[in-house]
Amino acid sequence: MVFAKIKHIASFLPNDILDNNMLAQTFPEWDAAKISEKTGINKRFIAGKNETALDLAINAAKNLFTKYQINKNEIDFILLCTQSPDYFLPTSACILQNKLEIPTTAGALDFNLGCSGYVYGLSMAKSLIETNQAKNVLLVTSETYSKYIKADDKSVRTIFGDGASATLVAASDDKSEQISKTLFGSDGSGFDKLIVKNGASKNATGPHELFMDGPEIFNFTLASVPVALQNFLNRENLAIDDIDAFVFHQANSFMLEALRKKCKIPKEKFVLKLAEFGNTVSSTIPMTIESALVSGELKAGQKVCLVGFGVGYSWAVNLITL
Amino acid sequence: MFENQNFIREFADIFEVDPSLIKPDFSLIDNNWDSLAIISTIALLDEHFGVIVDGKKLTNCTKASDIAALFSI
Repeated sequence: MVFAKIKHIASFLPNDILDNNMLAQTFPEWDAAKISEKTGINKRFIAGKNETALDLAINAAKNLFTKYQINKNEIDFILLCTQSPDYFLPTSACILQNKLEIPTTAGALDFNLGCSGYVYGLSMAKSLIETNQAKNVLLVTSETYSKYIKADDKSVRTIFGDGASATLVAASDDKSEQISKTLFGSDGSGFDKLIVKNGASKNATGPHELFMDGPEIFNFTLASVPVALQNFLNRENLAIDDIDAFVFHQANSFMLEALRKKCKIPKEKFVLKLAEFGNTVSSTIPMTIESALVSGELKAGQKVCLVGFGVGYSWAVNLITL
Repeated sequence: MFENQNFIREFADIFEVDPSLIKPDFSLIDNNWDSLAIISTIALLDEHFGVIVDGKKLTNCTKASDIAALFSI
């Protein structure tokens, strides 16, 4: 039996920074300290006018290859999670294959998920590897939500940032499961609570603006995430004490603190990194792992529970061994 | 709701006012009843009373007693 494992993670953030002082100038009812206190975010990175999620994805993958001396000829599958594709069609992952000069024998697909996307991606990578259909999967997450955000929309502008991550998931020599089975969840009744309504087939015209119903999203999260985590722990016959650390999707610090308390997770096991990059949607979990490995908050060999949740609604929980 | 001093203290924090001001007729709309205040209230109600309130109903509340009336708390 082959077991899939996360081998390496790298990320890429665009150059432009939107910090709390800049936001306070736009929204004078909030000062920079209050924005920091309420969101837990100090700065966000914003893609340039002509810089797309595909560009960020290319850079994240190049960072991964360079930093860990990965032979791109060994990549045999590309999974790209994005809701900001360059085109309706073709699939951005195919363009990514070409731009990265990954062999044409590799499979490639996009999947459209938001904040739950990384956990879903790990599940697909695991499935491909453990059924011997692939050996080295490049899992990329990339978003440029800033392009969907109105300058005067405080509720989303203070939270979301752009960025991309690239993860190499590969067949390992380990004798036990390194990425657990995933617990999934979907509830499309909340489809219009976090949405870009215009631009696709249903409403072809109109501004491409992100709408977020914050209170309803918060309610969904409070109602669904603790139950999903408990169901996962029950299914895997685990307790909070058995797990070294928890990396939740870094939505905003306020929501995370409410979830942490409700899930009864000790503060010292709950990794928070959103101050450094904001809510980068599907990239927050890999960026948090990468950053926490550098700071020493996470270490190789630890068992880490990943919890993704958000737009859709969609959620997923799994357990990885670093 | 108004008898729970821990709740009242944290509820007052949301509006950055003295807890003594939190009475049934405390005006929400005159005290920056924005999405963050609403979300903060949802979290407090869940933590202290174990209820998850509909965001729209909470948004429509104009004074503190309207919130209490949603749950008879």
